[in-house]
Amino acid sequence: MTKTVLSESPRLAVGVPLGPYPARPTTVQLFRFSAVTWNAHRIHYDREYAETEGYPGVLVQAHLHGCYLANAALDWAGPGGRLCSFRWTNRSIAVAGDELTVTGQVSSVSQDGDSTLVGLQLEEHDAQGTLCVSGEAVVAIPMSAPVDHR
Amino acid sequence: MTDLLASRYEQLKHEVGKERVEDLGVISRRDLERFAIASQAPWTAPADDDVATAPPMFLSSVMGWGAGPPETELDGDGTAPSDTRGLRLSGVRLMGAGQDLEFHTAVREGMRVVARTSLRDIELKHGKSGALLLLQILRQFTDDHERPLVTCRETFIAR
Repeated sequence: MTKTVLSESPRLAVGVPLGPYPARPTTVQLFRFSAVTWNAHRIHYDREYAETEGYPGVLVQAHLHGCYLANAALDWAGPGGRLCSFRWTNRSIAVAGDELTVTGQVSSVSQDGDSTLVGLQLEEHDAQGTLCVSGEAVVAIPMSAPVDHR
Repeated sequence: MTDLLASRYEQLKHEVGKERVEDLGVISRRDLERFAIASQAPWTAPADDDVATAPPMFLSSVMGWGAGPPETELDGDGTAPSDTRGLRLSGVRLMGAGQDLEFHTAVREGMRVVARTSLRDIELKHGKSGALLLLQILRQFTDDHERPLVTCRETFIAR
């Protein structure tokens, strides 16, 4: 892996792709996420109940989908990167055991003092190609931050 | 179900614009670490002497900050009013539909956090799959000196 400083990085151009970042929600992860967020909604841990609402399994929490996108943006930004703003919209459900993938692309690049502000368009799809979540983020990256070329 | 949704709409439209202030307490390192692990956040626990910073999604993802009601007072689907930011929506099927977040200041362990929550809009819609309620909820998280931390505009769908 080679490293350069951000200002030299070829990643910082509109249209540069991001990802793919896989996410594999398990029933254990859904339980733990419900626990730490104090969310007792049964659709996230009680399969029999979830089926009474017409779902094929326990649902991935809307907020966990948001976390997957945020995680992808932060992982892409690297050490020192931080989220300035972030929005996401849930488009379709996913259940435990689904194979999800976050992808995206750079949508804008601008300077703000000692940081570069990078706009990202993000999407999460399941293995069938169904769009589960769409979103946008702006991340601030210090100009001197090292960048991994992945 | 349409009658129930219409009833909830009539109840809640009077709540639009009313602000509720809640002291969420002091953020602990354990809460941040557990959230980071459960959400698989790219987050590294700091050294013992350093102050931990929250993953950015932490504040806006937590549904309840208090002990919550006993199980006998939960709705049949397991939800409580805290799941809809203090709004009572018994008998409907509820789903989160997304958030719009602005991050103002890093949230760190040891901070006392206050949330100001209000229902900004509610619509009763009739879509292809039937009636639904669309709720827009604003939460403004600050520290106890009213310094902005996170602003969250959240959408819920009730069917």
